[in-house]
Amino acid sequence: MSDRGSRIPGPRLIPRRLKLADPGRWPIGFALGVVLLAGFGLLALAPIVFDLPAPDEMDLLARLTGPSAAHPFGTDHLGRDVLARLIGAVPVSLGAALAAMAAILAISLPWGVVAGLAGGRVDAVMMRLADIIMAFPMLVLALAVIGFMGASLEASILGVAAAWWPSNARLVRALVLSASHRDFVRAAHLAGASRIRVVLRHVLPQVLPSLAVIISLETASVLLALSSLSFLGIGAQPPTPEWGAMLNEARPFFAQAPHMLIVPGLAVTLAVLAFNLVGEGMRSLLDKREPYRW
Amino acid sequence: MGIVPEPEDIAALRAEFGLDKALLQRYADWLWRALHFEFGTSVATGRPVMAEIALHLPATLALAASALIGAIAISLTLGSLAAVAGRYTGAGLRGLTILLVSVPSFWLALLLIYIFVLRLGWARLVGDGSLTDLVLPAITLSLAAGAALGRMVYERIRAEMSEDHVRLAIAKGLGPLQILTGHIAPRIAGPLATAWANAFGGLLGGAVIVESIFGWPGLGQLILQAIAQRDFPVIQAYLVLMGLIFFATSLAADLAVILSDPQLRRRLGDE
Repeated sequence: MSDRGSRIPGPRLIPRRLKLADPGRWPIGFALGVVLLAGFGLLALAPIVFDLPAPDEMDLLARLTGPSAAHPFGTDHLGRDVLARLIGAVPVSLGAALAAMAAILAISLPWGVVAGLAGGRVDAVMMRLADIIMAFPMLVLALAVIGFMGASLEASILGVAAAWWPSNARLVRALVLSASHRDFVRAAHLAGASRIRVVLRHVLPQVLPSLAVIISLETASVLLALSSLSFLGIGAQPPTPEWGAMLNEARPFFAQAPHMLIVPGLAVTLAVLAFNLVGEGMRSLLDKREPYRW
Repeated sequence: MGIVPEPEDIAALRAEFGLDKALLQRYADWLWRALHFEFGTSVATGRPVMAEIALHLPATLALAASALIGAIAISLTLGSLAAVAGRYTGAGLRGLTILLVSVPSFWLALLLIYIFVLRLGWARLVGDGSLTDLVLPAITLSLAAGAALGRMVYERIRAEMSEDHVRLAIAKGLGPLQILTGHIAPRIAGPLATAWANAFGGLLGGAVIVESIFGWPGLGQLILQAIAQRDFPVIQAYLVLMGLIFFATSLAADLAVILSDPQLRRRLGDE
């Protein structure tokens, strides 16, 4: 073997040529999702550009006021600007979801890849361990973890990560398993390619597109779970601005000040929608099946 | 100034909760008692944990079960319509599905309360746990779950519609309804039953959120209180029981799938 074979290349992230034969496969939903995500990214940067009041700045004389020029989305029960809190919550809410997703991937990716490639007894033991955790409803397990750690944003991130990783590991394992049984992977193995080379060069690139779909859809569900926990008062604690926590604070004033209710809920919905749209869009992009029509 | 506890008092408390024993022995004791569904007494209220849970469990089960029925109905309607409908209607239905999956149940609940309780006055918020009070919480809980399952129904039908046996059925001149009920439904019923059983677990968890908003007297209230008070015996019992209920529904679904599938039944008989 020449020295070319001993080089361990990274996975090819961008396919050699993206086939875009049918422009109809690029759905509007995918574009909308990307635009929404970019919008949230810009929103997180807004405090640098615009002069906004601090999310914690109270004006007790202007409590529960409706939308006005000074406060475009009104103020809450402590006279804090809802728009400022909404923008201040972008890095908290989305950051928590991304942190939880990173933790989930850090466990599930190695777990699934090792189980899928090792097979046999190792695979069986690893998957049964994941099954034990999956025997509990996910949100229930997250609640229990938070219950034992005490309510905080960190605890809710850990709780969600602990409850969500097994199903992810299972998906990764299924993907790796089907990818590693392709003929060209076997051929690479027979040609003397090292284990790491086979994984990085031949298995992972096949898995990546489907993995991107899973990550996007899972981020949506993790974001939903984390904001639900904050809404229940066992995630982000006041005065941290977080969309779910903002809604929780709005509950007692919900008949007097409906504006406090609309905006944070819309923010959660749009953020979850963005991740779902991107995931679904990628999925239909990858879907090569043609259903028969009558 | 508070009362300074005497060493004897501390020792008595430690003995009462079994904290003076070794870790492994404590775990073995706990496991043995958990097998008999004895989870001790609540640290906060001093009442037996199982008595507290037995008080709240029926309400949660009623909510989750009615939400599951709603979710199944919603998923079948949304999924099969999206699969059969034309290009634009189908896309619209899929968009609606994604939107419903994305709306947080706590926000949906608040919106429904605003519309139906505060504006229209069709329902009331402080109920006595009667069946009419169940309608709004059950709808809230079933919409998101139904949409998520509907996405799955759509995927399954689409996968079947790419198969040759459906092509043959179309070639024989069968109508969409006949193909859906006669050719596609039997093949996707098994996986869907498993998915529905899995969704029940999600509904048990989601019930916590909906119960806390609608004031439905289920386990959700109990567990949130327990988390706030660090009432570990209640949390333990809740986790174990929810796991057991989830396990039982999954097992029932698996058995139903095996019994209804002739191929699986035959394979089981051979072994």
